[in-house]
Amino acid sequence: MANSSTPAVQIEGLTKVFRLPFKKEQVVAVDNLSLKVGAGEVYGLIGPNGSGKSTTMKVLLGLISPSAGKASIFGLDSGDTASRGSVGFLPENPYFYKYLTGSETLAFYGKLCGLSRRKIRVRSEELLEMVDLTGARDRRLGGYSKGMLQRIGLAQALVGDPRLVVLDEPTAGVDPAGSRKIRDLVLELKHRGISVILSSHLLEQVQEVCDEVGIIFRGKLVREGKLDELIAIEDQSEIVLQNATPQLLERIAALVGEEEGAQLLRCGNPRTTLERLFLQEINKGSRQGGEDA
Amino acid sequence: MFSPLRIWAIARNTFTQLVRMKVFYFMLIFSALIIGANLLFLSFTFEQELKILKDVSFGAMSLFSSIFAIVGTALLIPKDIEDRTLYTILTKPVPRIEYLLGKLLGILLLIAVSILLMSLLFFTVLYIRQHGILAERIASFPRQVSEAQIESFREDIFSRGLQPELLLGIVAVFLKAAVAAAVALFVSTFASSTLFTIIVSLVVYFIGHAQSLALDYYFSMGEMHSAAQRFFAGLIGVVFPNFQLFNVTDGLTSGEVISTSLMARLLGLTAFYLTIYSMVSWLVFAKKEL
Repeated sequence: MANSSTPAVQIEGLTKVFRLPFKKEQVVAVDNLSLKVGAGEVYGLIGPNGSGKSTTMKVLLGLISPSAGKASIFGLDSGDTASRGSVGFLPENPYFYKYLTGSETLAFYGKLCGLSRRKIRVRSEELLEMVDLTGARDRRLGGYSKGMLQRIGLAQALVGDPRLVVLDEPTAGVDPAGSRKIRDLVLELKHRGISVILSSHLLEQVQEVCDEVGIIFRGKLVREGKLDELIAIEDQSEIVLQNATPQLLERIAALVGEEEGAQLLRCGNPRTTLERLFLQEINKGSRQGGEDA
Repeated sequence: MFSPLRIWAIARNTFTQLVRMKVFYFMLIFSALIIGANLLFLSFTFEQELKILKDVSFGAMSLFSSIFAIVGTALLIPKDIEDRTLYTILTKPVPRIEYLLGKLLGILLLIAVSILLMSLLFFTVLYIRQHGILAERIASFPRQVSEAQIESFREDIFSRGLQPELLLGIVAVFLKAAVAAAVALFVSTFASSTLFTIIVSLVVYFIGHAQSLALDYYFSMGEMHSAAQRFFAGLIGVVFPNFQLFNVTDGLTSGEVISTSLMARLLGLTAFYLTIYSMVSWLVFAKKEL
């Protein structure tokens, strides 16, 4: 039985080599990769396409076997089916059974997790509410939008009440509003103490939700650490002021000038992100639409 | 760890999947076939007419159920891999053997239901037809027909119509389709596409029909055969199920009786092939890199 100090994920010296059929060539997809995700942490695995993120996740989930090294989930070897009892997984661009409705989908996955009928009913209600799909519960998945599919995918990943959630490119192909919804859901998981490991190449999103980040390139983990430490510029400081007058700014600049070696690099209005601006305008538009109606 | 409930959940889901793919539309073709057979051969004697009706119905049932078994099974695993739905299933605590057994059970359920529907339609048409023939026979008699004569006609006609032995033929049709499904399941564990699974399974299906004929011919040539040759022949018998053995309906429609020992043999063979093919499928699928 894993105790609280057992890491959610432990990967040691993982190597995965694919042999090309009818050729002597080999492709090293993951090369001696080691990483650890603590219980309750959100870990972002980032890297360009084809860098080995999905392969690492597949080994972790027992979908493929490692050529060397090992991976474990809460202390259980990832090749062991029992390790999947505490995991929820959302693959990249998932296709679920499109002939099932939202609630049938959750019921199916709930049964696979060994939940009772009553528990499935309660859990489905809760998850549909959480992913904002209560209104679409009786619609077949064939009629769901991309963002809705991602959210029902996240709900199926959570149906077994997992302690670890693995998300492979959770926002791929989703519009900014849908993407933000998924980001909020990841934050909600973090708040509930669920460990999350996610891969993405949307760096801004990773930055918003992750505690730790690993950068993977050509199968190797080239950098890893706490996000705050990794992105902090050691020799620079930031002060953000509200309602500062030009006089106050001048006085601050003069004060900086008096200090030997100190230098004022930039002074102006902080920029919002394009994503925030987009969402702000969308929300404004929908509020006005509501008032007009 | 092994959970029949999970297998049942996958089986039910497979059944629902195939039903919602509207596979039961085939019933329209089946209906057209047996009603057509009924109408086209009205000018024959009643013995011929009833035999043709049974032959066409059994032939269509055997064909449809085997097509269902192969195409339905071929649609399952390759599509789950292609759509990555398989990832979401196998990343739950589901051993791969349970997934395979669930899929097989689901397709067997579908075959059973479709054969049941076809049988109901077949029996209804046969029932109506045999009563129709009796009425026509009585009407065609120039003078009053006695009760004893009516009874004699009825016995004569009904003995060639709806008889309980037909149920054995239907069981044989199901068993044959079940073996075909197990073959297709095995092929789909290593196939890369639905089309490949269908083609290879059909090839095995046809070889399975011809193998006993070919082996009989080979061994009847009178030459001495080495142990290796006999082993090879036995191996072919295991790899390619002898589907010809399941074709008992031809005899049945001609009035032959299916013996209990033959039925027991067919049941045993089906159990043997389902077990062998499920085990081999599992061996391949357990190591499959997804």
